[in-house]
Amino acid sequence: MVGEYAASYSHVLLMFGFAIMAVGPALLISRMISPRKLSNPVKFLPMEAGQVPKGEGRTHFMMQYYAYVLMFVVFDVMAIFLYAWGSSLLQLPKTATLPIIAFLGIMFAAMAFALYQSKRRNIW
Amino acid sequence: MSTIAPKFRFSYFLKSLTDNAFWAVILLTLTGIPFVMTLLFYLELPVIDDKLMTPYLALTTIADPARQIPLIKSLLHTDFFRIAAFPGFGFAALLAAGTIFVERKMLAKLQLRVGPFYCGKIEGLLQLMSDGIKLLSKEIIIPAKADKPIFWAAPVLFVATAAAFVSLIPAARGGWVVADADVGLLAVFAIIGFFPVITVLSAWSANSKFPFIGGIRALHQMVSFEIPLILSVLGVVILTGTLNLTQIVESQYHYWWILFMPIGAIVFFIAMLAELERIPFDLPEAESEIVAGWLTEFSGMMYGLVQLGSYLKLYAFAALFTILFLGGWSGPNVWPPFPEEIIQKGIVMGPITAHFPGLPLLDQQMLNDVLWFTLKVAGVIFFILLPRGVFPRIRIDLLLHIGWYKLIGMAFVNIFIALALVYAGVLGPGGIL
Repeated sequence: MVGEYAASYSHVLLMFGFAIMAVGPALLISRMISPRKLSNPVKFLPMEAGQVPKGEGRTHFMMQYYAYVLMFVVFDVMAIFLYAWGSSLLQLPKTATLPIIAFLGIMFAAMAFALYQSKRRNIW
Repeated sequence: MSTIAPKFRFSYFLKSLTDNAFWAVILLTLTGIPFVMTLLFYLELPVIDDKLMTPYLALTTIADPARQIPLIKSLLHTDFFRIAAFPGFGFAALLAAGTIFVERKMLAKLQLRVGPFYCGKIEGLLQLMSDGIKLLSKEIIIPAKADKPIFWAAPVLFVATAAAFVSLIPAARGGWVVADADVGLLAVFAIIGFFPVITVLSAWSANSKFPFIGGIRALHQMVSFEIPLILSVLGVVILTGTLNLTQIVESQYHYWWILFMPIGAIVFFIAMLAELERIPFDLPEAESEIVAGWLTEFSGMMYGLVQLGSYLKLYAFAALFTILFLGGWSGPNVWPPFPEEIIQKGIVMGPITAHFPGLPLLDQQMLNDVLWFTLKVAGVIFFILLPRGVFPRIRIDLLLHIGWYKLIGMAFVNIFIALALVYAGVLGPGGIL
């Protein structure tokens, strides 16, 4: 039973593997036929629009936007939970919708609070 | 005036050619032939017309086309054909190539340019091929302090993840899908979730400032628009009661879901543009601000592979929109039936008459489905390409604001419309449809 479920996804993995087998040789062939000259150390510097790069490459990004990434962790799970309810809605009694509406209300209040906090940039 | 490169010698050129041929022969003999032998040992060869189809027998059928047809027919229904050719990689890559050509010509026409013109004589038809050969012959330069294994793996993984997305797309009725999963829609969302990871990994591994900023932008954008993308499809799932993509298409036999849920379709389309990093949401690749975003350090074929992956992803998203909202392959029967005399008597060409038993390799129904599916996907791709000639790029805080405030709100409105349609008795069990 579990094996059958897993087998229906094996084709996704096969396709994944096929794509690797199909495009991996392109990199190898490119490496074989393209010129390689190691003479110039400037060539291997990171691209910085003509400047000589300074400092480390992994720079910083504005902290205020990390609020959205944190919110994603919560609300993505919520969205997937809703699928468990939505796909079986036609078999459920109508009264089963009310708890879900309450759940949505709680999540909406939480989201509104989080969005309000994410706008206050001075706290980040 | 063009000159030959000063160090060019024809004898060096010949030497490099023969060197490459030498290594190809050596490697093929030492690895290729044992590999094929091992494969043939473990492979279960098909039995066609009560004969075990060995490779030797398959080669002899070249002399007799009538014996070839059952072989081709059995090939058409193998998993390998589905993965490599029709609903899988080959079909998607072909549509992706067509998309690139149409995009370049259409964008040029919108901007009163000519676009690709010389290569391939007719309107630059072979420009993509020449670009591919050019990229293949370019040197791959990796920045000095890059994390090399991740940097090499990222383009290949990007293409492979896009291909895994394509594998879940059904293209015609009768099982023309690579992976017919019970919860195909959830599998699609799972695969979409891998793209930001690959993007951030490749951006981090390059150890360069522009790719890193582009990668972080891509992370924020894809992550923010994933939630409206997921929520906008929930209406369709509520009305169909299934997560299988084939069954979702079959539920739209009479009416397309875009008629009942236009808001969901619009939200899905906008979120799709953001997931595909297309204008007006192409902040990760904003070429006027951060060179080429997370693609800056990719050179040569690595860049080509990332482009291939992004266009495969574009096809997959357009096909997903078609399946969810535009009725997939359903459409009126317009494919002409096969002429009786070809099926009965074979092909007559002047003095030559060839009788092939079982000639139409694919039935009329399947060809009709594929025709409608391809037409709808082409239409959706056209609307994905169109904003590139019209809209400017938007700022990142506006992008996040649109995603988190407006699109999620509209997605919830769409869910309540779907619920109202079910509980008012319009759709669902006991409804008018």
